[in-house]
Amino acid sequence: MTKTSLLVGPFNRVEGDLEIRLEVSEGHVSAAYVNSPLFRGFERILQGKDPIDALTITPRICGICSISQSAAAARALADVAGAEPAPEGEKVAALLHAVENLADHLTHFNLFFMPDFARPDYAKRPWHDRAVARFTALQGSGLRAATEARAQLFHIVGLLGGKWPHTLAIQPGGATRAPSLRDKIRIAADLKTFRHYLEEHLFGAPVEDFAALSSAEALENWRTGDIGLFLEIAAELDLNSSGVGQARYLSYGAYPTADGHMFAPGLWEQGQLVPLALDNLQEDLSHAWMLGEAAHPTQGMTVPDETMREEAYSWCKAPRLGGEVYETGALARQVIDGHPLARALADENGVHARVVGRMLEIALTQIAVEALVQGIQPEAAFMRDVTLPKEGEGIGLVEAARGSLGHWLRIEGGKISSYQIIAPTTWNFSPRDSRGVPGPVEAALVGAPVAEGEETPLSVQHIVRSFDPCMVCTVH
Amino acid sequence: MSEIETFYDVMRRQGITRRSFMKYCSLTAAALGLSPSFVPKIAHAMENKPRTPVIWVHGLECTCCSESFIRSAHPLAKDVVLSMISLDYDDTLMAAAGHAAEAAFEETIEKYRGNYILAVEGNPPLNEDGMYCITGGKPFVEKLRHAAKDAKAIISWGACASYGCVQAAKPNPTQATPVHKVITDKPIIKVPGCPPIAEVMTGVITYMLTFDRLPELDRQGRPAMFYSQRIHDKCYRRPHFDAGQFVEAWDDENARKGYCLYKMGCKGPTTYNACSTVRWNEGVSFPIQSGHGCIGCSEDGFWDQGSFYDRVTDLTQFGVEANADKIGIAATGVVGAGVAAHAAVTALKAAQRKTQTRTEKEEA
Repeated sequence: MTKTSLLVGPFNRVEGDLEIRLEVSEGHVSAAYVNSPLFRGFERILQGKDPIDALTITPRICGICSISQSAAAARALADVAGAEPAPEGEKVAALLHAVENLADHLTHFNLFFMPDFARPDYAKRPWHDRAVARFTALQGSGLRAATEARAQLFHIVGLLGGKWPHTLAIQPGGATRAPSLRDKIRIAADLKTFRHYLEEHLFGAPVEDFAALSSAEALENWRTGDIGLFLEIAAELDLNSSGVGQARYLSYGAYPTADGHMFAPGLWEQGQLVPLALDNLQEDLSHAWMLGEAAHPTQGMTVPDETMREEAYSWCKAPRLGGEVYETGALARQVIDGHPLARALADENGVHARVVGRMLEIALTQIAVEALVQGIQPEAAFMRDVTLPKEGEGIGLVEAARGSLGHWLRIEGGKISSYQIIAPTTWNFSPRDSRGVPGPVEAALVGAPVAEGEETPLSVQHIVRSFDPCMVCTVH
Repeated sequence: MSEIETFYDVMRRQGITRRSFMKYCSLTAAALGLSPSFVPKIAHAMENKPRTPVIWVHGLECTCCSESFIRSAHPLAKDVVLSMISLDYDDTLMAAAGHAAEAAFEETIEKYRGNYILAVEGNPPLNEDGMYCITGGKPFVEKLRHAAKDAKAIISWGACASYGCVQAAKPNPTQATPVHKVITDKPIIKVPGCPPIAEVMTGVITYMLTFDRLPELDRQGRPAMFYSQRIHDKCYRRPHFDAGQFVEAWDDENARKGYCLYKMGCKGPTTYNACSTVRWNEGVSFPIQSGHGCIGCSEDGFWDQGSFYDRVTDLTQFGVEANADKIGIAATGVVGAGVAAHAAVTALKAAQRKTQTRTEKEEA
């Protein structure tokens, strides 16, 4: 039996830096170790700062999901004050956040995930010519159409948030911009343009048709659009059974408004929906270059181990809920929210299912956001006065494109005394815990085929990217 | 040099029509504040000069600069510029991964030695021998030094590369350090902002690619064409400031009327950037227009100046005007002196030396 070790990285076309060490035995990955080689120390920078400044600092953790960070910070601050944002302001926040998430899913599919199928290694495949034309990095027609569509979509954030990335509009009391009737019309027009892109390119059919798919069989028969091409590739390469996870999902619930969440919160375990409870959440530090004991984020600390001890291998902490590993992201959200197609793919939990989960979410979000904009009341209040107490604790839970994002904040003497962040990729790309249980990606990589002499195995590329890693968020 | 194509060749290969090309030249001239008579000059330069290769690297950062660049730029400008720089090396956008990517990086340096522009996004953390940012198994600071050694000039994209940004905020756990403190022997153009405006990024890079020289820089090393005026100077809410009409609380009646955000902590009076003229996301809006004050993200040290919601000073309206100016000048004066002293000991290229002395003369 031959056993070799392979270091894969740096992964380009991901947000931030990522390195993965693979143990390969008889042509398959037998163990994987994920390293996030970048550490900036945001949680320490936040200590001692004016609490409201979290709204400016936390978005700068990440230039891709900066609205998610700002939404979580605003929620955490409102929670400390025991306040609720103004309902209309909450809608604007939801809209801003949804636009960012839509755009992220689009970038992932077009710029980060699909270009791998245009590689020369696949030259003999029947779909290769089409993949090259559509998804060659930086040049494919699909990439161009998507980049243009998202720039247009971001007009909405430009209008309501002033700038993107690093928008400042979302506040604990609501949102700073009260859209006028005229703004509403402009936003609706931008959404219409985006719908046109989706129906022309991505789905090649009405958005509602994709949203209405309810079974794996129905999905198999989908032929149109870029999705059609992906499904054809996925079937031929058997991506259904590639990168399979444990079908244990987490979602904090997306886009809370006065009418409830657009996508419901919860946990999914052994094919069952379980209510979300975070009392026994812990961040395990056994394999991270961090000092201290495993702790709930309200007690957590971020003290880097400058000796970079042997048994650890990442800057990333290992979050566990009730000692268990959870996968988070679009698929998790839609399974938990109960969409029939997502539920049908819940156990499959591989590369194909994760990508389809994202596409499904694009369709559902587009429809939901159109309705949300229609319901905005320009004359109502968009901001409530929120006074932050000198002492207190708060939690901000949101769903970023890549999954569950939480901010845990404590204020003492009017200053931030503790700020802990668990990002989606912290969950998905976590290292092993004290019991030696690998994180979701580490587990999903086991069994991936590695051909003789392959230095950056294609299967590994697909699996890792199917999680849409955002490494800068992981270790902030 | 002959093996390097011209810009026009590259564009043609990307399927860009002659008509679009001419439109691009006009847009570029407009964005750079040049008169229409420059359009044929730009076109001529692009048809005849070999394009300038660009290597784009990422250190400790959040990729917001790239995001701004690829998502929001004028589609045509972005397409063109992206198609030119993509030929070389970019961590985030390129197709290759792993060793192939590292090889491409080396190959680009080798092939265009002394001739390429190095665009840096993010910065190197120096604590613990740079271990907080490792790419390809080596600290980023090594990659930066290596790539900078044979570069013609360096662009520091954004607040991180230019000044440090929030990751360098007290206590600066990783000792995140701006590029000009690590690389001291190359001309550096700072394009600050968190992130910089897309049109400013494409404008700067196009200028350098087209005219093959650095744009005129201000005392802080920023391209004067985009950073010579305060947000406040061109802010459409300025009349309300002058009239003493201020927003007193979020979403109050005055906010709906679009009054000045100075009392809400707006840093427009001390911030030099093009937000109020170029605006964001394809000219749609900018923070003040969306009801939130400017936080001054293109200024050095903006992350450690007290709360982002503190007022610039406590003085009343008209006093503020004079005072804000003084504050602005005092602050930039100090930094300017630092840059000038720094420039004196380093061997800058002739082009930059010229602009440097000119701005210094103006100062005197």
